Amino acid sequence: MTGLVISGAEVRAGQKAILAGVSLSAEKGTVTGLLGPNGAGKSTLILAALGLVPLAAGRVTFEGAELPGMRPADRARLCAYVEQAATTAERLTVRDVVALGRVPFQSAWQAAPSERDEELVATTLAELGMAAFANRLYHTLSGGEQQRVQIARALAQEPRLLLLDEPTSHLDIRAQLMVLETLRRRADSGCMVLVALHDLNLASRYCDRLVILDAGRVAAEGPPADVLDPALLRAVYGVHATIAQLPDTPAPLVIYDRPAVEDDSAAKYD
Amino acid sequence: MTPGPAYALAYAGLWLVLIASAILAITFGPAHISASDVWAVVLHHLGWGDSPVSRLRDAIVWELRLPRVLAAIGIGSGLALSGTVMQVLTRNPLADPYLLGLSSGAALGAVIFLLAGAALLMPLGAFVGSLTALALALLIARLLGGATPSRAILAGICIAALASAMTSLLIFWSATGDSYREILSWLMGSLSGTTWADTGLVGLGLVLCAPAILFSGRGLDAFAFGDAAATGLGIDIARLRWTLLAATALLTGVMVAIGGAIGFVGLVVPHAVRLAVGSRHRVLLPMSMLVGGIFMLWTDTAARSLFDPRELPVGIVTALVGAPAFLLILLRYRRVT
Amino acid sequence: MRLPAFTLATVLVALAAIGSTAVQAATAYPLTVQNCGVDVTFDRAPQRAVTIKSTATELLLSLGLSDRIVGVGFQDGPLPDDLAAAGAGLKVLSDKLPSQEVVLEAEPDFIYGGWESNFAADGVGERPTLAALGVGTYVAPAACRSFKPPRLTFEMLFGEIEEMGAIFDVESAAAALVERQKTSLAVLVPDARRLTAVWYSSGTKTPYVSGGTNAPAMIMRALGLDNIFGDIDDGWISASWEAIVDADPDVIVLVDAAWNSAEQKKKLLADNPITSRLDAVVNQRYLIIPFPASEAGVRNVPAAVDMAAQLAALQFPVP
Repeated sequence: MTGLVISGAEVRAGQKAILAGVSLSAEKGTVTGLLGPNGAGKSTLILAALGLVPLAAGRVTFEGAELPGMRPADRARLCAYVEQAATTAERLTVRDVVALGRVPFQSAWQAAPSERDEELVATTLAELGMAAFANRLYHTLSGGEQQRVQIARALAQEPRLLLLDEPTSHLDIRAQLMVLETLRRRADSGCMVLVALHDLNLASRYCDRLVILDAGRVAAEGPPADVLDPALLRAVYGVHATIAQLPDTPAPLVIYDRPAVEDDSAAKYD
Repeated sequence: MTPGPAYALAYAGLWLVLIASAILAITFGPAHISASDVWAVVLHHLGWGDSPVSRLRDAIVWELRLPRVLAAIGIGSGLALSGTVMQVLTRNPLADPYLLGLSSGAALGAVIFLLAGAALLMPLGAFVGSLTALALALLIARLLGGATPSRAILAGICIAALASAMTSLLIFWSATGDSYREILSWLMGSLSGTTWADTGLVGLGLVLCAPAILFSGRGLDAFAFGDAAATGLGIDIARLRWTLLAATALLTGVMVAIGGAIGFVGLVVPHAVRLAVGSRHRVLLPMSMLVGGIFMLWTDTAARSLFDPRELPVGIVTALVGAPAFLLILLRYRRVT
Repeated sequence: MRLPAFTLATVLVALAAIGSTAVQAATAYPLTVQNCGVDVTFDRAPQRAVTIKSTATELLLSLGLSDRIVGVGFQDGPLPDDLAAAGAGLKVLSDKLPSQEVVLEAEPDFIYGGWESNFAADGVGERPTLAALGVGTYVAPAACRSFKPPRLTFEMLFGEIEEMGAIFDVESAAAALVERQKTSLAVLVPDARRLTAVWYSSGTKTPYVSGGTNAPAMIMRALGLDNIFGDIDDGWISASWEAIVDADPDVIVLVDAAWNSAEQKKKLLADNPITSRLDAVVNQRYLIIPFPASEAGVRNVPAAVDMAAQLAALQFPVP
């Protein structure tokens, strides 16, 4: 399998299991959405894939090679990671931050970025609509703007695998759509994208496959049309919702109704 | 600011200032020796021409002033470099080279050696003391559950407090009037009586430790967003951290052993340079070294010349200049943000 | 047989006249002295004195008051030979500064401090507190820091001896001591060779040397030595080796202390790459003085006499 394969991943914190045997596989050139309520283990799964959180059991491979055990330098050349909230106390410009994406390709005694490096930085900034911000200091940007800069940085790494942890959480709707379009485009040109999202509708629209996590286990996996159904939403998210299918779009639409309460029984509200 | 040409110019400029400063600084001092005579003495020792002054005045220039000026440059650049690295490693802008108990440990080591009668071996005591304190701080950090930056800082504060208390006790218990003065001078940081041997040690420390640190520029850049991001950019964070910590501790240990606990250089210089050139460490590190060297050079020249024939411990001058400078930097930070 | 009243009166007056030339007037109590910014009143001569620092002890011993000393503290070295016997049985309260409780345990009515800082709460106690307890206090004038000390002279030293004589009601002993010292001093001929000198106390990296206002400066003036830091308006200063080397003093005075001997200093100077080239070091032109004698006190004059002899023995090549 030449994509991302996770089999039986287990992560423990003391006695508690954060991931209790997660398996999924994703092909290159696809966008896989990682979904689930808070605490389901989405971030942990991504960190485990990167080797930042130790796996108690299971394997993660990409293009046949073990991902967590790889040398960080090698891994950084094929895989880029965007974390949820990236803060820094350093005085870096936006261009500096995006240029960090070229660090895996630079040698220790290289004093200045190469032409290629600078070209990539400019391109990715433009792709995310941040070209005008290039000389601004990073910490003066809003949360949403900072997130887009981080994604630009990840793209500057020219990765074959993109792991993103809720990259759209602070963005306004236009920016959210821009980011997801960018990810889609990248996937279409051969990159493998695994993105944790919280918005079911956006996930449905932009992802080829969805993986729903619930309390450290995979509750459902497959194309959005197969995965999204009211019973799953009630069980995993605790909400009553209807799934609609519009004629021109393959992606199902989730229409939220109301939260489910503790003693709710299916019969009462049918 | 486009990188490349502008930075090259800035580097060249700083090197020029440093060399010009050194040439100028050796002409200052309580002894009245004309500038041309001073330079003639230096040239004579380098192989050109004769010494135009008496044997003693020759010694003043070659044995007193020149090693001290060079040591000041070395110590200033070493402390500035260490300070910059500490600020990144601990992700704390208030970090200085002495953060992990290094200067308190060094003080304790120096005092022990002094009171035991080995005053001339104080540098060795200081060096051993600083590394012991560091080792203890890291041990405690591990016992607290793993050596993360914040735990290491807390452990360092503990060890520093302990070492300070023991130093005070020793001073109170066994110091005579004379050793009070030596210890105080050491605690404030002083370059009095620097010999060529001292300068050699400073140079050795820089040669051994600075390259490892300078080559970590891109690794330090990657640290900007924390451990996870740095690993994502391909940096082996554990190895980088330990390498940098070891190199910084060793470098600081040597600097403190020779010059005592000179304050403010390691804290203020990195911030001043960052304001000018930003946080790209490949540029920040070497520039901090140059600026630190120039700063220390002039403060030490002031310390030994302003109150002729008296000498101030240079730590007093760095504090008098450094504190207001830090305030200015903070104000500029506020205005920029 | 009854002497005629007139004869008796004449004899008495004559006796009194003879007596007055040999015996000073007895102290009129209560006696108030102004000492280092504090007025201290004595109702009678102190009977139980505690002395802090060798110079204080030596002064009282020289006045023959050994039986009135109930405790000594922070002595700098052994007593000189001529006072050793008198001071043999003195009770040592502490090698360093005794605490207030230890001093008060000895039930003194007078504390003679060799340093002004002795009279602090964590030392022997503050002067007002002690006064309230009926303990008189005295700071050696040369050590008074609250007021900028003027240049110390022998006259001031003699003044201190006389004042102590007044306080203890032993004016005659005091006057005799002053006379002896004045005589010794008068015999001392300042060196005519106009030699420069530095008084080096301690310090390896930063030399601690005498300025122009303290006892060492006073002694150097008496010896006819030109103190290279004599115009500094301070007692002790941390100087730079450069300034000393630049002045290239003809003579170096070394203080011989128990914790830092003159021999150690000689070795230090000889080993140091800069000072080893000084004329005075190469030719070993040193004057040695024991530490307790270098502090302002009764040993200054004998020390000066001794140093004059050392100085006279130093040979200088004819230029």
